[in-house]
Amino acid sequence: MNATILDARESRFPLDLAVRQPRIRDLFHAASRNQWDPEFDVDWAALDPEAFPPAQREAARMYWSRRAWGEYGAISESPALQIRFCQEKLSPDARLYFTIRSQEESRHAEVCFRMAERLGGYVEQPQVQFQGSVATHGVRRLALDPEVPIEGVIAALVCAAEEIAFDVFRHLIEITRHPVARQVCRLVMRDEVRHCAFGWHFMADRWPRLDPAGRERVRDAVITMIEKVELNGYHSAWLAPDNPASRAEVECDRLTWEAGLGATVEELEKPVFVDSIRRIRRQMEEAWGLRLPEFSHPRIDGRF
Amino acid sequence: MTTAESSAPVTIPVERRFPLDLESRDGGIRVLYQAAKQDHWDPERGVPWDSLDPARIPHADRESARRVWSRRAWLEYTGLAETPALLIRFCLETGRESEPKFFLTVRNTEEAWHVECCHRIAECLGGYLDRPADPAREELFNQTLYREALDAAASLDAFVATHCAFEDGLEAELAAAWLGTAREPAVRSLLEHMQRAKRRHADFGWRYLAQRAPALEPAARHAVEGQLVRWIQTVELAGYHCVSLATGFDPAAESADLDRCAAAGLGAVPAAAEEAVFRATLAAARARLAALGLALPAFHHPRLGAV
Repeated sequence: MNATILDARESRFPLDLAVRQPRIRDLFHAASRNQWDPEFDVDWAALDPEAFPPAQREAARMYWSRRAWGEYGAISESPALQIRFCQEKLSPDARLYFTIRSQEESRHAEVCFRMAERLGGYVEQPQVQFQGSVATHGVRRLALDPEVPIEGVIAALVCAAEEIAFDVFRHLIEITRHPVARQVCRLVMRDEVRHCAFGWHFMADRWPRLDPAGRERVRDAVITMIEKVELNGYHSAWLAPDNPASRAEVECDRLTWEAGLGATVEELEKPVFVDSIRRIRRQMEEAWGLRLPEFSHPRIDGRF
Repeated sequence: MTTAESSAPVTIPVERRFPLDLESRDGGIRVLYQAAKQDHWDPERGVPWDSLDPARIPHADRESARRVWSRRAWLEYTGLAETPALLIRFCLETGRESEPKFFLTVRNTEEAWHVECCHRIAECLGGYLDRPADPAREELFNQTLYREALDAAASLDAFVATHCAFEDGLEAELAAAWLGTAREPAVRSLLEHMQRAKRRHADFGWRYLAQRAPALEPAARHAVEGQLVRWIQTVELAGYHCVSLATGFDPAAESADLDRCAAAGLGAVPAAAEEAVFRATLAAARARLAALGLALPAFHHPRLGAV
């Protein structure tokens, strides 16, 4: 077992609670004002599962179950970042904000679970061959590892992975026809705007403090997140290694998309994904001077 | 030995993500989660901050109250790292229910609101203090509970019994007592929010313990009892929540602050009243634990005798 940040004894004093990063404190307050409840703030009665053929319903329940698994990662893993923020005495604003961020992730998991239930029943697990793509994004391990700079975890998780998710959400809102599915996507995206903003605000404060070696490790963490997690199908099944299980997930996406229930398909998502990677690369270079390499994937033509 | 005292590397349980059960298994905890979501508020607008006018409060009262509210911020702050650790632990242990996970995410937000508001009150009253006056008292707060929550060698059920049922129960009773004497509107408003949240936190602990207790093997029961005893004996009776119980240092100054803050209606009760709350909470917890087949012995306090 490698050492973790848990091995050091707590030393909380001096305990600074003042506003040090006003933009992050503002996010905390904005999130406090913009709470919503999956039980009451979604017009569930408007989602009639009988309006869809069994094949579409079955696909959609699987799709929304997969979305719930993805959101659950932010419940099971990302809260480790909160421990790290406290242990390293990072800005009080980040320590406060991240609590509500985890709550928002739990309501995303809840709303996805409710969608799956409404559409025929939540599915507890993917086929074994697909589990490697969605089982973990590795953030808990990274957050607890004292050798990994916290900036690397935030850059990878928030400024890369969540930015991709944000762009895909925006795309989903554009193409999703069913009003309830679109409403769910809108509610989730409203929270994701703050999540992404947090990452860039956090990094704007931390990046100048990093030495060249630290900056290189941030770069490595972002590359790993894109190559090993995103390009492995954590969010998009068509990017997962080709096998019968991932093909079945892709087919679920297609049927759900045809039903207008919230999914997208490879041909529509591919340009969104590629543009997202390019935007992230541009933004990281402009904000931090960090240069990401080009990436490749068997299902995407050329390097991007 | 608690993990906080251990120097060995902590081993964290290994997660098996699937099957991922998100069904409701305990309606009572689900109700608490739903109630918590509906009871959301905004620390900026949910408290009538304009009513808190330090100029109308005598200097000595202000000074006492800022120390009392700074100390509360330090205590509330514990949850900022403890709760995410506990949440992760629930996720790591195979077969644990979904409700505690959802509930704990809301609990952590509530703790953050409390921290921010306790800090703000202290600031209004002359300035938040970022550490105890005597550095020797800092260790009492550095309990490293987040490590204990994630330590695979420590029992999750024991943690819930100690820190969710007993400790959150004590915090709920203290908040109720403070609210009972508070006259300043902003302070009252905050304490109303805190009391409701802390009641839910304690309900969660007791409900979960009641659900788990019948199936606990003898060794697991001993672990629960042992952790409760250690916590109460070495932390609570050392003045963690009720500072006047401290015996390792002279708490006279802190007790005087409580008395003055209480008399000024700024959200406290006299030290003696806090002790009464502690004794009553301990007695009630002992009875509830006994009903679950868990024994909590009497404790000896040098000044109070058997409690």
